[in-house]
Amino acid sequence: MAGSRFPGVRHPNSLNREHFLSNSCEEASDLALARRAREGDESAFEEIMRRYSPRVFRFASRFFRQRSLVEEAAQEVFLKAFTQLGSYRGRGSMEGWLTRITTNTCLNLLRSSKRRPELRVSDLTEDESTWLDNQMAEAATERHKSSERSSVAADLAERVLHTLSPDDQLVLILIDGEDASVKEVVEMTGWSASKVKVQAFRARRRMREGVEKLLAPKAKAGSKSI
Amino acid sequence: MKDKHIVNLLESAPLAELSERDLSEVRAHACECAGCLQAFEAAQIATLLLKERTAETFEPSAFFHTRVMATLRERQTTNEQWAWSRIWRAAGALASSMAATVAALAVLTFVIPGQVTTVTPETTAFSAYSAEEVILDHGESDEQVSDGQVLTTLYGADEDR
Repeated sequence: MAGSRFPGVRHPNSLNREHFLSNSCEEASDLALARRAREGDESAFEEIMRRYSPRVFRFASRFFRQRSLVEEAAQEVFLKAFTQLGSYRGRGSMEGWLTRITTNTCLNLLRSSKRRPELRVSDLTEDESTWLDNQMAEAATERHKSSERSSVAADLAERVLHTLSPDDQLVLILIDGEDASVKEVVEMTGWSASKVKVQAFRARRRMREGVEKLLAPKAKAGSKSI
Repeated sequence: MKDKHIVNLLESAPLAELSERDLSEVRAHACECAGCLQAFEAAQIATLLLKERTAETFEPSAFFHTRVMATLRERQTTNEQWAWSRIWRAAGALASSMAATVAALAVLTFVIPGQVTTVTPETTAFSAYSAEEVILDHGESDEQVSDGQVLTTLYGADEDR
């Protein structure tokens, strides 16, 4: 890190030097930054973080709804990245390399968290129950959204997802949520294409069955009232 | 297709990726099959839930980079300390094993040979003599047997006859 030995006392040229260093960091290629960070240049690693932390945060947000968990995952990603800088040879993009680390880190965190048992209608909050009722009522019409309802839906999605295995959550979030292709998931996870397809097929079934269990009592109640 | 359940089709790909032809077949079948209609609705809601879930995102806080760098330095310091303590422990084990070896050698050199020193040349000679004595004379020396006794032993029996 470029800095004066004596805080508050600056050499006349130190500002220019720092300006030059920060500029050189900003303009340096990912590979050059990785090499410099490996050699102990902290400013190079900070530049890597500055470039890619929004992406890592965005990706980790797909798996966790609590900000603290997202931050924990992102921090773990960059700590791992620092120790594994030697394995980054610049053949692929650094973004892809970090995405792979993020995927594995999030998967490990999901695996370490306790899986919830089956979700029942009685477990739903009033808002979630109302949201489901509205969705069923609007099944034939175009669904409209509001930020409040989106938040309720995200809560409910989180609860349904937590009844699934971490691998199921991963493929559903990536393929059905993020619109990632099977090939992209293969690159992120290191799984085979057939494993990804089978996992996605089964995960969709389990997710659908989970939602269906929540809908069934409402459908019965609806038919009785009719 | 109308008489075939469409559940497998729903799960073969994300709903958004189903072709218009597939969707129209799904809808046509769902109109006649209550089970598939419920599955189709559930699949639609599941897709919507996933979309809502992945629409949320967090941005890194202002202190995130500082915190990561601080954790990194802390871990590096801990690793260095751990490496030194490992070297120190290894050195301690080596030193204690060397001390044990020296002590064992000292015991072998000074204590055990001290017990052997009781074996003097005199005793060795005595032991040799004693062995000869046992083999030849059963503890009696030549001087202890008189000539008369020898003669009696050799010729006494003949005289008796």
